Amino acid sequence: MVVGDIATGTEVLVIGGGPGGYVAAIRAAQEGLDATLVERDAYGGACLNRGCIPSKALITGSGLAHEAGNAEFMGVHADPAVDMGKMVEWKDGVVDRLTSGVEKLCKANGVNLIEGTASFVDEHTARVAHGGEGQGSESIEFEHAIIATGSRPIQIPGFDFAEDHVWSSAEALDADTVPDRLGIVGGGYIGMELATTYAKLGAEVTVVEMLDDILQPYEDDVKRIVRKRAEELGVEFGFGEGASEWSEAPDGGYLLHTETEEGEESTYGVDKILVAVGRQPVTDGLDPEQAGIETDDRGFVDTDDRTRTAVEHIHAVGDVAGDPMLAHAASKEGIVAAEVIAGEPAAMDQQAIPAAVFTDPEIGTVGLTEEAAEAEGFDPVVGEMPFNASGRALTTGHTEGFVRIVADDETGFVLGGQIVGPEASELVAEVALAIEMGATLEDVAATVHTHPTLAEAVMEAAENARGQAIHTLNR
Amino acid sequence: MPVKEFKLPDVGEGVAEGELVSWLVAPGDRVEEDQPVAEVETDKALVEVPSSYDGTVEELFVEEGEMVPVGDVIISFRVDEGDGTSDEAAADPESAAEESGDAEPAATDDAEPDPAAADTADAEPETATGRTFAPPSARRLARELGVDLAAVDGSGPGGRVSEADVRAHAAGDAGGAGDSGSDEAPAPTPTEVGSGGRKSAVKKRGEDGSAESSAGPAPGAPEPAGRDATLATPATRKLARDLDVDVDDVPTDETRDGEAFVTGEHVQAYADALGSAAAAESAPEPEPVEADSADGADDGPAAAGEAAGATAPDAGDETVPYRGVRRTIGEQMERSKFTAPHVTHHDTAEVDALVEARAELKPTAEAEGVTLTYMPFVMKAIVAGLKQHPYLNSELREDDEEIVLKKEYNLGIAVATDAGLMVPVVDDVDEKGLFELAAEVRDLATRARERKLKPAEMNGGTFTVTNFGAIGGEFATPIINYPETAILGLGAIEDRPVVRERDGESEVVPAPTLPLSLSIDHRVVDGAVAARFANTVMEHLENPLLLLNE
Repeated sequence: MVVGDIATGTEVLVIGGGPGGYVAAIRAAQEGLDATLVERDAYGGACLNRGCIPSKALITGSGLAHEAGNAEFMGVHADPAVDMGKMVEWKDGVVDRLTSGVEKLCKANGVNLIEGTASFVDEHTARVAHGGEGQGSESIEFEHAIIATGSRPIQIPGFDFAEDHVWSSAEALDADTVPDRLGIVGGGYIGMELATTYAKLGAEVTVVEMLDDILQPYEDDVKRIVRKRAEELGVEFGFGEGASEWSEAPDGGYLLHTETEEGEESTYGVDKILVAVGRQPVTDGLDPEQAGIETDDRGFVDTDDRTRTAVEHIHAVGDVAGDPMLAHAASKEGIVAAEVIAGEPAAMDQQAIPAAVFTDPEIGTVGLTEEAAEAEGFDPVVGEMPFNASGRALTTGHTEGFVRIVADDETGFVLGGQIVGPEASELVAEVALAIEMGATLEDVAATVHTHPTLAEAVMEAAENARGQAIHTLNR
Repeated sequence: MPVKEFKLPDVGEGVAEGELVSWLVAPGDRVEEDQPVAEVETDKALVEVPSSYDGTVEELFVEEGEMVPVGDVIISFRVDEGDGTSDEAAADPESAAEESGDAEPAATDDAEPDPAAADTADAEPETATGRTFAPPSARRLARELGVDLAAVDGSGPGGRVSEADVRAHAAGDAGGAGDSGSDEAPAPTPTEVGSGGRKSAVKKRGEDGSAESSAGPAPGAPEPAGRDATLATPATRKLARDLDVDVDDVPTDETRDGEAFVTGEHVQAYADALGSAAAAESAPEPEPVEADSADGADDGPAAAGEAAGATAPDAGDETVPYRGVRRTIGEQMERSKFTAPHVTHHDTAEVDALVEARAELKPTAEAEGVTLTYMPFVMKAIVAGLKQHPYLNSELREDDEEIVLKKEYNLGIAVATDAGLMVPVVDDVDEKGLFELAAEVRDLATRARERKLKPAEMNGGTFTVTNFGAIGGEFATPIINYPETAILGLGAIEDRPVVRERDGESEVVPAPTLPLSLSIDHRVVDGAVAARFANTVMEHLENPLLLLNE
């Protein structure tokens, strides 16, 4: 036993206070369990501190500035100036408010909060080291544990996040000035959201991507709309190029070097380089093997449909438990973990987990695409409503994109939706509800939607799939 | 090791049920994935049903000879698990002891068994894999009640499963477990009719008596609930409209936000009850004949059930189940004969030249390994006729108010098999040579007799030929293979007396003739067209050289 080591006991030990962990801890406490949450950094995890929330704040800020400066077509003339320092300060205020809210919610629900880094000692014991060296530690005996340690940005060789001009998404959300030229490595959703943001803030943005298009998991017509809009905003793309290194340029900036598979090299003059090539699970320092838990070759912890690891009384939720690495998936898993521990009949039995990309325009998807539905053996029927046929979309000045709804032809059950366009991230919620409720196209089509709203497009798409659309030609 | 239930899969296009002819495995047998476990006879073919799992047969839920709807559970397996770590941990008391051995609060561990661990040890209900059309609340309830969601009959649109369905299924499981072997036909009770069938088994809360009011001795019409307002999904409202039922009248014990909530199941049950009440008024309810069912018990549960209400067979009679292929043929014939007004045209072709042509070609065909019959010639002659008279190669689509003139010449060939009539289809007869047709017909007929046709091989016909003459006879009145428009029956080719002119005088001489019986759907074509078609076919049979043009 280490000197200063105090032994305490808890029924549920939650390791990590992000959207998986804090939700699990609160639900466990609500279930009447004695819950302890260990967080080594900041409550709210990457989502609140370095991800979802701060990025949405900057996306909104940059979007507002851009909209105001580009509204001559509706008679609005403005040339907004952006004070980046002030915008980041406002963003920090939002983050502070939410993270302190999480802390208060945990306390109000009776969750014990411990700040420090937890490591497993054995199947029923963890040690929590407080802060730095010599700050003391404590041993915690637990009956159940929930691993919710999250993920961090992947660093690639030659691009050390410790360098001032090499950014991870965290630094990109905390910059006090807008770089003149921003090179972004990776055209996934993080790279594309920040490319749009910085382009609207006035940076010359270049995205280099190893694949031949952006946003790999999405359908071609969805990608095309987002890529076209990014190009209109001045974003340049280098497809099929992998970032190889950077060097100092004579002009005081840097050169981003890329190389294709064939060995063709290119360089881009940049001031900052954002590396957004994905996220990897965090288990360092956790010593899961001490509790008998193996991680896979990418570092993820394998779980079953009740979020249990191979060691039954230890659960894992959120990014550390693998795809989909989404905050709302983590929260659902956290709730299931807590309820399973409490003996409730909970399980990860959702039919679909929606996903949103906050590019311009936004993407919201849930469930099956037409292709995936076919692969699953359905006979899919598809309906679409383009936003350029939506009255509300026209009045917002944003008419790119469409709502697509995929259903089973025989039964009419809604199987999926792909939305690209204004407020797609919000609109997808209705399709998700339809899928979970086992709603049919008829149910969606026969539900009266408010006019004039963007949400009408979901109803129209369902009608279109039934060959009964009023405002589009039925196919 | 978890137990997996296995449902009768969709064994062919459009096949809704099948007769479980024989089990190939017994409880306790080891099976591997894809190993056949049962033989099922559907409307169209005998198929083997393969296992989806590696494991051991746990239980057979269906007896041989029983009709099983697609989607019903027929067998369960105790399934092998890949890693099995979690189960071993839970099942092995030693490892559980080890887990708590070193830890201080071990006593509490033992006193309060870990609910999660208890779940696993005691056959934790599986989470439904794949897509289930049920709201999250119903899915959770299914886990709570240990119900396999996939086995629940959904009452909502498209088979959506509601909480009520899950409860009904759970109640059904509990009640039905003990009497699965009972042969007695369940006598419908007025209570079930009045309150909506199995739903009545699960009434728990908010019983207001209105649903029970019809539970009296006389099976009257269900009392309309007559509410001012009712909650129901759009699909349920549409169902109510379709069934001509006012949702405010549908009895329900469910509420949402304090308002009565009606599901599709309620509407259906109410409509059914209205229907049966109306039937009860017009006709006295048939009483279940207990004595008869007892007599028929030896014939198995299905026979006993069928005997109830019908005249009992005499002691010496033999009852044969009317099922599978036999029943499909029956239904198909009934539909054709009662839908399409048949008219049959008879004529006789003098086929001297055809007999010669076939005799001449036969050795060549044999050299190619083909047995040349007259059938390919007839098929080619039919195609010639169909090309000139396209209405005989058509399909009447009443709903669409149109006649579809088919551009493909796919001829069904009626084949008599031990199981009954099968009609495999030879596609694109117009594009195939005589030998090719001969070989294909032979192959299809052989496999039809062996019950090895795939359902797809019996679909897509545009016209059918039936060669009853192979068994004997001259003329018949074939029944059209609906929704086709015509069928040609062939008598036996034999020497028959024909009148021919020789040296300016008529005389009766023997000559090989082929009697033809052409039935047509008189809605689509008239007798004159049928006669002209027959003439074209005969012309090609009497002058087989014309077939060179086909």
